[in-house]
Amino acid sequence: MLGFAKGLKYTLKNLTREKVTYDYPNKPLPLPDRFRGIQKFYPEKCIVCNQCANICPTDCIQLTGKKHPDPAKKGKIIDTYDINFEICILCDLCTEVCPTEAIIMTNNFELAEYSRDMLFKNLEWLDENDENIRQVNKA
Amino acid sequence: MIEELLQSSPGWANFGIFFLLGAVLLLIVLGFVTYGILAERKVLGYMQLRHGPNQVGGKWGLLQTVADVLKLLLKEDIIPKAADKPLFIIAPAIAFAPSFMVLATMPFTDKFQFADIGVGLLYYIAVSGLTVFGMVLGGWASNNKYALLGGMRAAAQMISYEIPLVMSVLGVILLTGSLNLNEIVTHQEHGWFILLQPIGFIVFFIASIAELNRTPFDLPESENELVAGYHVEYSGFRWAFFMLAEYVYLFAMSALITVVFLGGWLAPFGFLDFIPGAVWFALKFSVVVFIYIWLRATLPRFRADRLMEFGWKVLLPIALANIFLTALLKSLFF
Amino acid sequence: MIRTEEMILNVGPQHPSTHGVFRLVVKIDGEIITEAKPVIGYLHRGTEKLAEDLQYTQIIPYTDRMDYLSSMTNNYILCHAVETMMGIEVPERADFLRVIAMELNRVASHLVAWGTYILDLGATSPFIYAFRDREMIINMLNELSGARLTFNYMRVGGVKWDAPEGWIEKVRDFVPYMRGQLKGFHDLVSGNEIFLDRVKGIGRYTKEDAINYSLSGPNLRCTGVKWDLRKDEPYSIYNRFEFDVPTSEEGDCLARYHLRLAEIEQSLNILEQAVAQFPGEGPILAKVPKIIKAPKGEAFVRIESPRGEIGCYIASDGKKEPYRLKFRRPSFYNLQILPKLLKGENIANMIAILGAIDIVLGEVDG
Repeated sequence: MLGFAKGLKYTLKNLTREKVTYDYPNKPLPLPDRFRGIQKFYPEKCIVCNQCANICPTDCIQLTGKKHPDPAKKGKIIDTYDINFEICILCDLCTEVCPTEAIIMTNNFELAEYSRDMLFKNLEWLDENDENIRQVNKA
Repeated sequence: MIEELLQSSPGWANFGIFFLLGAVLLLIVLGFVTYGILAERKVLGYMQLRHGPNQVGGKWGLLQTVADVLKLLLKEDIIPKAADKPLFIIAPAIAFAPSFMVLATMPFTDKFQFADIGVGLLYYIAVSGLTVFGMVLGGWASNNKYALLGGMRAAAQMISYEIPLVMSVLGVILLTGSLNLNEIVTHQEHGWFILLQPIGFIVFFIASIAELNRTPFDLPESENELVAGYHVEYSGFRWAFFMLAEYVYLFAMSALITVVFLGGWLAPFGFLDFIPGAVWFALKFSVVVFIYIWLRATLPRFRADRLMEFGWKVLLPIALANIFLTALLKSLFF
Repeated sequence: MIRTEEMILNVGPQHPSTHGVFRLVVKIDGEIITEAKPVIGYLHRGTEKLAEDLQYTQIIPYTDRMDYLSSMTNNYILCHAVETMMGIEVPERADFLRVIAMELNRVASHLVAWGTYILDLGATSPFIYAFRDREMIINMLNELSGARLTFNYMRVGGVKWDAPEGWIEKVRDFVPYMRGQLKGFHDLVSGNEIFLDRVKGIGRYTKEDAINYSLSGPNLRCTGVKWDLRKDEPYSIYNRFEFDVPTSEEGDCLARYHLRLAEIEQSLNILEQAVAQFPGEGPILAKVPKIIKAPKGEAFVRIESPRGEIGCYIASDGKKEPYRLKFRRPSFYNLQILPKLLKGENIANMIAILGAIDIVLGEVDG
């Protein structure tokens, strides 16, 4: 009969132990720097190399570029940049391949919306998403 | 006062008084159920390193159960198409009514009791056995296979454990020489029956958990096997009635254990008599409830066939042996 | 005369104890099961087919989602397969990081298995205690890889991130803590009479059955077969560590339960040694071409995941996508013995047996 008495002792001891729950959403969750949340996009850094769109495993990135307005300069600048967060799996591969760190991860992970359309984030939205940006982006 | 009322001739005035008293008791019981559920969730939460309810009604979640009940009241009333409608509707009431009826004989203190009948203990056990009809009917009427299995388990479990439950208190009855709950309490002035009848107490306690359908004997509604058992198809207030019955029984059974084994409203020592009986009763009662919750936080569930074996092959022989032992002791020493 | 008949009971796909969207059609006579038929495929996403259109790096996040309780081993099996085909030598530091991550993940996975198994048997608290400790592991892996479950941590030729500052020390401190917790777990559950009654002698099968049904992991070792790929076909750097392969002779649910807890202990031993031997400096990624192309040919590799032998077969025609990718998913194979075990058992045992096999539906359905 000792077996279950041991268990009872264990649960009774835990009665006064420190609680392990988080007070979310009242307090933000403490997240490490590397945490992969919604991307932040820097339009001025982008060179329209298309690598992020190519590496994306779920094809959720769509981008178009246009000619540089200054005719003296070569290359393209970004025109539209959309990420569809209905299918984005936040795998971090787009930020890994980006040669100019124009797209980086943030610690913002709250993606609940009232409509599916809201999950379609465009260039402006991703540009304004500038809180909790990841500090170290390349290993 | 109640004695006089019971003796007086029937009339509308008496009916009104009894109705009012009943309503008052119901409110007290509902208050217990409200905070009993909260206490259970809090204690479980604390044992599991959580906080338990802490949103509705301040840090302690004091209004959580109220909010839950209100939500259940507002829920859509769903009756499955293939259900046996009249039975489905009446089953929760059948399950609940006896749980409230048994409280009538419960002596909370020497003055606060509704009916001081001679066979109080027998009345309690007989009436509490009726609840299983509600469970079986609910399980059957739902026309759901899980509910049917749950109802069948409930019936089997209730019948098997009612017997050790009765047998284990026979020792107490032998020592007291009465089935009256008041006399049982007053008989414990010099020593609680938990000390004189330890075997009887253990058997009674185990059987009472089974009667209450609580972990580790919660087979009729075992979540992991039968989803929710006999009340799987119930929702809204009908479901709340089953829940209510369960917690009122928790109230009643804890009160009964307090009365029969822990000396009811009596103080443990003579010099502590200045503390009112109601406080003692509440204290003992709370300890019993806490142990029920504690067991729930620790133990896994029995298996149906082992449950039957345990009831018939272990508890019943022990309870019978206890009766003989008590009879022997009584004839030798008392 | 009472007329009785067997009835068909659908357990799942929405049922608290099927650990996901698993359906079991059982024919029951009262509470006794006369026939059980597992129905799977509710979580099928076609990982293997999708992979045929993806580059090797792109497949890694998909492997996270197969056995979502131990993504690290899944990451590893794919990278290991591609590395084997390309003949890439993984740097030592990366190997250490991989082993530490995999063993941490194994502990986390067994903790879930332990907690949910006791939950299936009706006790709620152990589940929470297990998840408290798992949370610590998840937080550590989150610091390392940037995600809590879908780590996407390993790359062909190494790992994505180096260990952050102070991380190795955290793992070092975790090992003695977890050992203490394991003692508590044994106190709480292992000696409980009701628990023993529920699992002892239940779901028993023999060594021959286990091998014939191609079981692996604790499901195989519980019958006394000492077979652990970390020992018998050492991959990565497992040959550098001292650890035992716990086995048991009984072959019942209790044996599987004890094996999982014993494996946690062995994983902690490996972790302790790996942390002590962790190299101070070094690259974490081998020199790999920018676009990974496996050479023409095929390869099959297998490793020990918490659930058993996970294998990966790649057929390549030299392109950057595989021609055919096939995972040997241990949960799927372990599940096959279920109909045999369930015959003649009652409903309560059904839950105990299913829980002891420890399937992850993401893996069963692929």
